[in-house]
Amino acid sequence: MPNLVEAPIEDKRLTLKEAVKLVPDGAHLFWGGFGFQRPPMAFAHEMVRQGKRNMTIYTCGSEMDLDILVGAKVASRLEVAFYAIEGIGLAPNIQRRMREKTVEIEDYTNLAMALRFLGGALGVPFMPLKSMLGTDMLTKKRFREKKAEVFTCPFTGEKVVLVPSVRPDFSIVHVSRVDREGNAQIDGIKGEDVEGARAGKKLIVMAEEIVDTEFIRVQPDQTVIPNIYVTYVVECPWGSYPMMVYNYYDYDMEHIRRYYEQCKTEEGWQKYCEEYITSVNNHMEFLQKIGIERLLKLKAKKPFAY
Amino acid sequence: MEMTKKYAKPEEFSTLELMAVCGSKQIKNGEVVFIGTGLPLIAAMLAKKTHAPKAKIVYEAGFIDSNAIDIALSIADSRLGYHASGAIGLIETLGLMLQGGHVDVGFVGAAQIDEYGNINTTYIGNFENPTVRLPGSGGGNDIVSSAKRIVIIMTHEKRKMVKKLDYLTSPGFLDGPGAREKAGLLGGGPSLVVTNLCQMDFEPKTKRIRLATVHPGVTIQQIKENTGFDLIIPKDVPTTELPTYEELELLRAIDPHGIYIPKPK
Repeated sequence: MPNLVEAPIEDKRLTLKEAVKLVPDGAHLFWGGFGFQRPPMAFAHEMVRQGKRNMTIYTCGSEMDLDILVGAKVASRLEVAFYAIEGIGLAPNIQRRMREKTVEIEDYTNLAMALRFLGGALGVPFMPLKSMLGTDMLTKKRFREKKAEVFTCPFTGEKVVLVPSVRPDFSIVHVSRVDREGNAQIDGIKGEDVEGARAGKKLIVMAEEIVDTEFIRVQPDQTVIPNIYVTYVVECPWGSYPMMVYNYYDYDMEHIRRYYEQCKTEEGWQKYCEEYITSVNNHMEFLQKIGIERLLKLKAKKPFAY
Repeated sequence: MEMTKKYAKPEEFSTLELMAVCGSKQIKNGEVVFIGTGLPLIAAMLAKKTHAPKAKIVYEAGFIDSNAIDIALSIADSRLGYHASGAIGLIETLGLMLQGGHVDVGFVGAAQIDEYGNINTTYIGNFENPTVRLPGSGGGNDIVSSAKRIVIIMTHEKRKMVKKLDYLTSPGFLDGPGAREKAGLLGGGPSLVVTNLCQMDFEPKTKRIRLATVHPGVTIQQIKENTGFDLIIPKDVPTTELPTYEELELLRAIDPHGIYIPKPK
């Protein structure tokens, strides 16, 4: 009599420290999150602590997380559409590093970047779109030999822009919840994470919580990244603090404003970096420094997602 | 039922309030509207509370038909998810919805514009050695490329209204009539520029910026002095329609803490 055998659940869990160790200097990374929503902030901090260098970052729009990576010279090249500290001002470290020429930026639009990730995930070398036509984004470039090309459609004669697909070494995303095998669910907007996660040769999924696989499998329609794509899973509560995670916590605007003001000068940035990133050993110590009272105040108040 | 409108007096509202009201009037009931944060967000919230309750507000990060009740600071802000009909992603909003031809009007800001409504949001200074690196296109170029109409909201200064842009991020009418079509662009291009001094539209024949209305208390001379290109000035330019008391009351309730429209002292 054959017994019903339960398949063993594959365990892809790593600590944040272990996961970051896997990323070598000079790697190309898809960087998840969009604007203030679900940036892999804790991953950025750990890359700074481990002294990573010369990363190329691909993303649509990022904020304080990207500014930290450029400020600490973890990232030296960006292929992006947007960065700022939204609602406050320009990204202060990137501004300074750009003048020092320690960061180079190749400009695309949000749709162009999202399609470049979709192209990478689909395994095709380029994607067509109807943006960028007639602009300097087509003609001016920094370090890419070829950035974008206008192409006439062989079927209709219509003009489109072709942008090169991206297949980075790693994709880093921060999601709401994931199980040990890597089935990931995202509450709220997905930004470009669905395509970006699938574009990387390896995918590291950070999550606010690790749930039992049973929890995923009773609501499989909520899964936006199935385990097939996922290489490693990292449990990381408050992993986007001081930015936000839908249904989990709001942003800490006071902290973000202080960061913005302080990082207008190199000394101010160095001080911030030491105080909140390099003088702590890990993400938990960072959260302890922020303090439980402050964090609890930011917890989402149901039925609101913030 | 059209009631007689009770207009406020010029000393009873701020320029930002007037700009928000001007923006809200560009949204028609039932339209699909693409906006960002800042004044456009306030303008869209006002439109939904007045003449356009069925307008569908879309944010490129993925929130669709948002009905936010709290002021958002980021286009990805969870606040925008309140009573939204969908929370999807960029391929959906900028690709399927916008490039697919479903967006009626988009609102964008600009660091510089030229006389054809071309927009710079990327660099100040020359490309090789820029003095300031601005946020970049984001979804701005996508929106300006493909929405049926575009409303630009910005401050009116000579260094911002320029003869030649430092960098062309988003396409207005490029170098004149027929240029958008020749380039292969889908959308209709800019239709209105709202500033702190006036509203400007585009002359149909030349596609150049033309003065449309002047805000109360502003002179045409003042507008000329703050514009770096040759502005088309028609013979009779009306004063901008003033906000009503009802609009002002709603506006102040939308942004009670003065996040985007600071409270008068």
